[in-house]
Amino acid sequence: METEVLIIGGGVLGAVVARELSRYKVDVILVEKEADFGWGSTKTNMCIVCQGGDTLEFRPEYHRSKLVWTSMPLMEPLCQEIDVPFKRVGELALIRNNEELSKFQKLKARAEKLGMNGHQFIDQDTLRQMEPHVTRKAIGALFDPNIAVVDPVRLTIALIENAIQNGVDVKRETEVIEIDRGVNQFEVQTSRGTIQCRYIVNAAGTSVDKIARFVDADDFVLYPIRGYVGILDKNLGDLVKHEIHMRPDEIGQMNILTPSVHGNLFFGTTMQPAMRGDYSTTRKIAQIGLKNLQKIVPDLSEKDLINAFAGFLMFRNWEVGWHECVVQPSRKVPRFINICIGYPGVSAAPATGREVIELLQREGLKLESNPKFNPTRKAPPVFNQLSEEKQRELISKDMRYGHVVCRCETVTEGEIVAAIQRGATTLDGIKFRTRAGMGRCQGGFCTPRVVKILSRELGVNEGKITKKGWNSHLLLYKSKELIEAQT
Amino acid sequence: MKYSEIDVAVIGSGPAGMAAAIKAKEEGAEHVLIFERQEQLGGLLHQCIHNGFGLLYFGQDLTGPEYAHRFAEKVRDLGIEVLLETMVTQIASDRKLTAINNRNGVIHLQPKSIILTMGCRERSRGQLAIPGTRPAGIFTAGTAQRLVNVEGFVPGKRVVILGSGDIGMIMARRLTLEGAEVKAVVEILPYVGGLTRNEVQCLHDFQIPLLLQHTVTQIHGEQRIKAVTIAKVDDEKRPIPNTEKTIECDTLLLSVGLIPENELSRMAGVELDPLTGGPMVDPFRETNVSGIFAGGNVVHVHDLVDHVSWEAEIAGASAAQFVRKGKVEKKKKILIKPGENIRYVVPQTIHTQQDVTLFARVKEMEENVQLKIGDILSQPLRVVKPGEMLRMELSQSQLTGLKEGTNELMVECRKRR
Repeated sequence: METEVLIIGGGVLGAVVARELSRYKVDVILVEKEADFGWGSTKTNMCIVCQGGDTLEFRPEYHRSKLVWTSMPLMEPLCQEIDVPFKRVGELALIRNNEELSKFQKLKARAEKLGMNGHQFIDQDTLRQMEPHVTRKAIGALFDPNIAVVDPVRLTIALIENAIQNGVDVKRETEVIEIDRGVNQFEVQTSRGTIQCRYIVNAAGTSVDKIARFVDADDFVLYPIRGYVGILDKNLGDLVKHEIHMRPDEIGQMNILTPSVHGNLFFGTTMQPAMRGDYSTTRKIAQIGLKNLQKIVPDLSEKDLINAFAGFLMFRNWEVGWHECVVQPSRKVPRFINICIGYPGVSAAPATGREVIELLQREGLKLESNPKFNPTRKAPPVFNQLSEEKQRELISKDMRYGHVVCRCETVTEGEIVAAIQRGATTLDGIKFRTRAGMGRCQGGFCTPRVVKILSRELGVNEGKITKKGWNSHLLLYKSKELIEAQT
Repeated sequence: MKYSEIDVAVIGSGPAGMAAAIKAKEEGAEHVLIFERQEQLGGLLHQCIHNGFGLLYFGQDLTGPEYAHRFAEKVRDLGIEVLLETMVTQIASDRKLTAINNRNGVIHLQPKSIILTMGCRERSRGQLAIPGTRPAGIFTAGTAQRLVNVEGFVPGKRVVILGSGDIGMIMARRLTLEGAEVKAVVEILPYVGGLTRNEVQCLHDFQIPLLLQHTVTQIHGEQRIKAVTIAKVDDEKRPIPNTEKTIECDTLLLSVGLIPENELSRMAGVELDPLTGGPMVDPFRETNVSGIFAGGNVVHVHDLVDHVSWEAEIAGASAAQFVRKGKVEKKKKILIKPGENIRYVVPQTIHTQQDVTLFARVKEMEENVQLKIGDILSQPLRVVKPGEMLRMELSQSQLTGLKEGTNELMVECRKRR
């Protein structure tokens, strides 16, 4: 297989680069090691779109800061173009004492100097009106109306779908095993054969340094820091309306509570160094998380939690600055571009996509615009968000939209079939594309039903259906099979 | 039947829904309509192919499908309307109801009364915050039960079961019969969560190891589950360091509790009891929303299906009365309060006009106790367990004999000295 540009990694950054490249007449292949897109750092975060200036670690001189704040105005139009949900919730940074107040005053002044406007201080009474359940310990808050939330996995899938529409080739369950550097090209060995390419965009998320090391293009250091996020029951959806955070009392803790585009609340708990790829959670962290959550909204309890997950932030080192990103061509290897935002990757994605195009051109890639490029992509119908009239219309056209498969999130068979037609092949694929299994019963009811539909639509035996690709099979034996094997 | 003329709408057709619908019809409600989201009547009974159903109700030992079949025949014979493969998506406090199916599209109706019989769901891994990775091969016991008994698949052959609820113990036996090896049933409490009869018939009779005061502290495996780490716990249910042990397995089942399914109740403005997770009800099984009744596991998680049907019948009869008279007549109200070692009591309020049966669950297992209701009932019990429901009968004369001004009764379960 041969291509001009190979993108390694189908997270939000790889996807946004693929879509940007599809504006031009150039051969592009994107490889993703998982069974679906956006399953690494893209899926494991708080889903917040921020401009970076709102954090105290913000450094205007960072390249990352520039990417994040130039992305901010691009995100909403992008979401509209490719038909994914975007919700501007606004942010409240809680202030508990005068010391914090003076810190936030400095922050506000700095943000304004950089042209990021809209921040305003609000007093305790206004805060109480805006968020009645928030802790009484807050004496006020710094309000930033610009902050928004998105669904990063849906965003990624939409970008990929649009890229495919415009000619990009994508390959899933395709892991890069080795890269050989030739004179004018790279030879990339994958779990599904060799790909020759002239340019590589390395967007491999937490594996970005590992991939770069194959050709000694790892002229940067990254430290993985694991963060934890908890998900609360939808019943509490309107408990808070803004993204709310509080300055942590201890290093490594996160006190963030935010609505999501789907009506659940997410809370960030804590960060700690961990082995990368180890997405496991621990009991202790869950307890710390709950304690931190209660600092923001005291009446929440563990009963309100429906799930929790871990994700990674990648930190640089003190020489370049802990919070700096890597969006640069390798200094040692021509035509090899490394991209890793570290965090917040989703927020920085739109501008990063554009910048990678410039970097590729600087490395010598000739780009001629693709006259057939179509920037719009249409999302499949989301039944429970349609008007009743539209629901009726849909059912009369396709009866499968009248069959509810996931009761918690009201996901219909029609939506599941549509997701399969657009590329879902696994149980988790269905979950992230349609939300079937994401509700309070966490797939207890719909799992056997979704497996059946997957098997029918893909034309394979149910025993072949996996949770998340590779060897994650769900049903290992047929009934009586084990008994017969014993006799 | 015209949907505009429905007297009683019943949500769900498990052991509660069918019993409620039948009773409502027998008590004179003309147009009774059952909503069922699956392809057939019976709800979860179809996957419960073991026996033990109907001992109290029919005086016979039936399987789940047999128990369902008896009710389904009666539903048919009485001419009760049924909408299968139909999901109720909304109920408002004025009883306006929205449902979806693939034949009628979106259905709207406003029945004269509604009976909530949605049953319960299983607690998931996420809610327990079990630490570890997220591989395939972790199922709730009920999901596994459906996979084995209805879909014809055995999820794996080396199984650990966390929790000793009834479905978990029943699945331990079922998977053993299917040729799988159940390596352990791990229970955090010092006693099983389900019925003693299941402990004996499903675990001891099949020599399945039961590890009391243990829990799963870590899940291992990236793609399919490979092993779990278990540990002993102290009296506060905290894992004890250095007691960890790893068990290799390809499947982990969770049987760690059931939660009444009350999303629709919430939409309708029905007040829920935080202790049961179900609606607050009176002895007529009416909720705080006039004309909306509830029965079975949606109210509180029962131990025996017979009790589920029995409770739902009360709701059915009351709904019929509501349709007939426009209200359910109630005399003086008394609050029932859970006291020492009582987790909850249902109904949460009673009325003095008739005999009443109270159901309660204890918080902790205890031997040699005295069960008391105010000062009108006091009875010794040899042993009480959270897995087995307490049932108490109060007669009308006991209630009318209460001291003037009594508006509250405390149910307690004290250790005898």
